[in-house]
Amino acid sequence: MNKKELKALLTDWRVATLIILVVLSVIAINPHFDEQGNLTTNLQYGLDLQQGAWIQLEFQAEVVGFTTDRPLEEFLTDLSRNLDVEVVQVDSNHLEIRKYYSQADLEQVFIAAGGKITSYQPGVSKTTAEDVKRILENKINTLGTKDAKVNTLTGLNNVARYIRVELAGVDMKQAQEIVGKQGKFEIRIQTTGNQTEHVLSGETITSVQVPSQEPPGSDKWGVSFTLSDSGATAFRAAAIKYGATADPANHNLIMLLDNTTVYSAPLSEDLAGKLQSEDIRQLFASTGTGKYGSQQATNLEIHLRAGALPVDVTIAGSGGVTAPLGERYKMTAILAGICALIAVGFVIYYRYREPVIVLPMVLINASEIVILLGFISLVNFQMDLPTIAGLIAVLGTGIDQLVIITDEILHEGKVPSPNLYLKRLSRALGIIVVAAATVVIAMLPLVLMDLQALRGFAIITILGVLVGVLITRPAYGRIIMQILSK
Amino acid sequence: MGLFNYNIEKYSPKQLVILPLVILAVSVILLALNMATTGMPVTPGIDFSGGTAVTIFSTDTKEQLQSTFAGYPLDDISEGVNDGYFLKFGAMDDTEFRSLSALIYQKFPDARVDQIGETFGKTLQSQAVLALIFSFIGMSIVVFLSFRTFVPSGAVVLSAFADIVMTAAVMNIVGIPLSLGTLAALLMLIGYSVDSDILLTNRVLKRQGKLNDKLAGAFHTGIIMTSTTFAAITAMFIVAWFGSVLILIEIAAVLLIGLVFDVMNTWLTNVGILKWYVLKGGGK
Repeated sequence: MNKKELKALLTDWRVATLIILVVLSVIAINPHFDEQGNLTTNLQYGLDLQQGAWIQLEFQAEVVGFTTDRPLEEFLTDLSRNLDVEVVQVDSNHLEIRKYYSQADLEQVFIAAGGKITSYQPGVSKTTAEDVKRILENKINTLGTKDAKVNTLTGLNNVARYIRVELAGVDMKQAQEIVGKQGKFEIRIQTTGNQTEHVLSGETITSVQVPSQEPPGSDKWGVSFTLSDSGATAFRAAAIKYGATADPANHNLIMLLDNTTVYSAPLSEDLAGKLQSEDIRQLFASTGTGKYGSQQATNLEIHLRAGALPVDVTIAGSGGVTAPLGERYKMTAILAGICALIAVGFVIYYRYREPVIVLPMVLINASEIVILLGFISLVNFQMDLPTIAGLIAVLGTGIDQLVIITDEILHEGKVPSPNLYLKRLSRALGIIVVAAATVVIAMLPLVLMDLQALRGFAIITILGVLVGVLITRPAYGRIIMQILSK
Repeated sequence: MGLFNYNIEKYSPKQLVILPLVILAVSVILLALNMATTGMPVTPGIDFSGGTAVTIFSTDTKEQLQSTFAGYPLDDISEGVNDGYFLKFGAMDDTEFRSLSALIYQKFPDARVDQIGETFGKTLQSQAVLALIFSFIGMSIVVFLSFRTFVPSGAVVLSAFADIVMTAAVMNIVGIPLSLGTLAALLMLIGYSVDSDILLTNRVLKRQGKLNDKLAGAFHTGIIMTSTTFAAITAMFIVAWFGSVLILIEIAAVLLIGLVFDVMNTWLTNVGILKWYVLKGGGK
C-alpha cells in the first residue's frame, strides 16, 4: 500500500469515523496512573467488581382499586380508623394502604366501611416510592456513606413493590445496619401513667437545624426543628386534648425511632403557655448538658433528619462482595475478554491464513470493544459481570459478521471489480442488518423490563450491535477492499 | 477448512431433519416432565425461587464445610477450582440470615453472598418468562419481514425454537439452573442462532447458482462463524472457571450448549427444510 492509497483510506469517511471514535473513546476511558502509581481508568464498576453491598426492601403496603357510594371523605376516615393505618388516595379510584393486609382481610374492612375492592396490588404508588427514595438517600448521606444508589423498581400500573439500595465501599453487615433500620420516627404524648398517644409521624417534620445551645452560649444542648402547618395544628390539638399544656410535668413528649424511645421530656413552661393560644411550628428539643447533651443532640438530629419512611419495609434480598473478591472478579473478567479476543484471532487465522486479513479483523473487533467502553465511561454506566459477559458476546457476534463480509466479497476466491465489490458488500450488509435487528429485538424486553442486572447486559449488547452495523462493519468493508485489491 | 467434512448434498431433506426432530421431541418431553414435577420447565435458581447463594474460597473439604454450616438449610455445595466453593441455602428468616452472613464473613473474609427473597423471586420469574416470549415473537417478526415467504422464515424460527428448547433440556440434565445470567444467555442464543440461519437462507434464496454449491458455500462461512463464537465463549468459560465466577461460568456453559445445537439445527433442520422447499420449486 503506497502513501497515496493509505491517505485515501484514512480519509474515507467510514474509516475516519471509526478512527475518530476510537480516539475519543480512549480519551473518555482515560487510562492514567493515580497517585499510588496504579493504572486506573474512568470506568466505573458495579457492586460485583468492587467492595459493596446491596439490599432490596419490600414495601409493606398495597395499592387497591375501590368503589364506594358514600362521600369519599367519610369513607376514607372510616377506613383509616378501622384499619388503624394511614390511607392515602392515589387517584380517583385507587388507595394506598400503608400497612400489609391480605386481600381477604381488606375486602371485609372495605365492605364494613361501605365500599368494595376492585383490584389489589402489593406495593406503593410511584409518588410514595419517590418519597422513600429521597428519604433513604438523605439518611445514607447523613451517615456519611459515599457512593450510594437508591432505585425503586416500579412495575406495571405504576405500583412499586421493591426498592433497591446499593452501597459501594461497605460490607453487607454495615449495609444492613444502615438500611435495615427503617427510621420510622414518631412523636407521642404521655396521657395518664404509662399510656401514650400518637401525635405526629416523621413526615410532618419539614426541617431540622444543627445541634445548638439554648440559650446561646450556655451548656444546654438541643436540636430545633420545624413542623409543617398541619403538623403544628395536630401537635397543638393533642397537647391541649391530653392536658400537656395545663400540666406539662406529667405529660412527657416522647420521640420514638423504630419504636425505641430516643427522647422523652416535658414541654417547657414557656412552650406550654404559648401552645394554649396558637400553633407553634418551631420546636426545640433539649437533650441535656455538656458533652453528653451535645452527643445526644447529634444523634437526635440524625434521627429527625432521617425522618420516617412513610411505609414499613422488610428486607427482601441482600448481598455483598468483599474487596479482594471484587478485585479477583475484575481480573478474571478482563482476562476472559483478552483470552476471548486471542481465541477468536486463532480461529480466524486458521481459516484465512492471511495475516493481512486476520489483523484488520481482530483490530476492528477490538476497536468495537474500545468504543463501547468509551461510551460506558462517558455515561457513567457501572460495569458489572453481566455487562462484561455482554461485551464478550458482542465480540462473538462482531467477528461473525466480519466473516460474513469477508466471505461474501471473496466469493469464489476471486477479487472482485469495484462494482461487483460494492454489490457484494451491500449484500453482506443486508444479511448483517437482519441478524443485528433480531439481536436488538431479542434483547429489547430485557431493557424495558425490570430484571435488574440484565438491563446492563441487554443495553451493552444492543449498543454493541448498533456500533457494529453503523460504524465498524462499513469501515471494515472499506479496509478489506483496499487490502484485497493488492 | 478441513475440520468438518460434511456433504449436505448426499442427504435427502427427510434424512436431514429426522435426527433433530427426534431430539426436539425428547427435549420437549423432558421439559414437560420437569414442568409437571416442579412447575417450571427449567429448574429455577435462587434468582427466581429465593434462597441464598454464597461463593467462598477455602481449603476445607466439602465435609468440613457441611459441618460448619450444619445449623443452616444448606441445599447444595459444588466445587470450583482454586479452592472455590459455591454454596446454596434454602429460605431463611432475617435473623437466621444475619447470623449466617456473620458466620460466613468471620470464617471466609472474601466471600460473596447473595440472598433473594421468595416473593421477589416469584415476581422476577413471571417477568423472565414474559421476556423470553417477547424476545422470541420479536425475532420471528423480524425474520418474517425480511424473507416474506412462509417456509424459509418458518424454518429459521423453528431452528431458533429448537435451539432454545434443546438447550433448556440439557440445562436440566446437567443441573444448570435458570438464573438471571442463564436467562440472558438463552436470549443471546436467539440472536446467535438466527445469525447463521439468516446467512444460509439469504445465500440459498437470493444468490444465483446451483443449490448444492450455495449450500456448501454457506456451510463454509457459517461453520467458521460458529467456530469463532465458540472459541470466544470457550475462552470465557475456562477463565471464569479458574476465577470461580459463577455467573460467567453459567452464561458461558449455556451459550456453548446452545451453539452445539445451533450447528445441528442450522445444518440439519434448517438446511433440510430449505432444500425441500427449493427442490419443490419454491424460491425461484
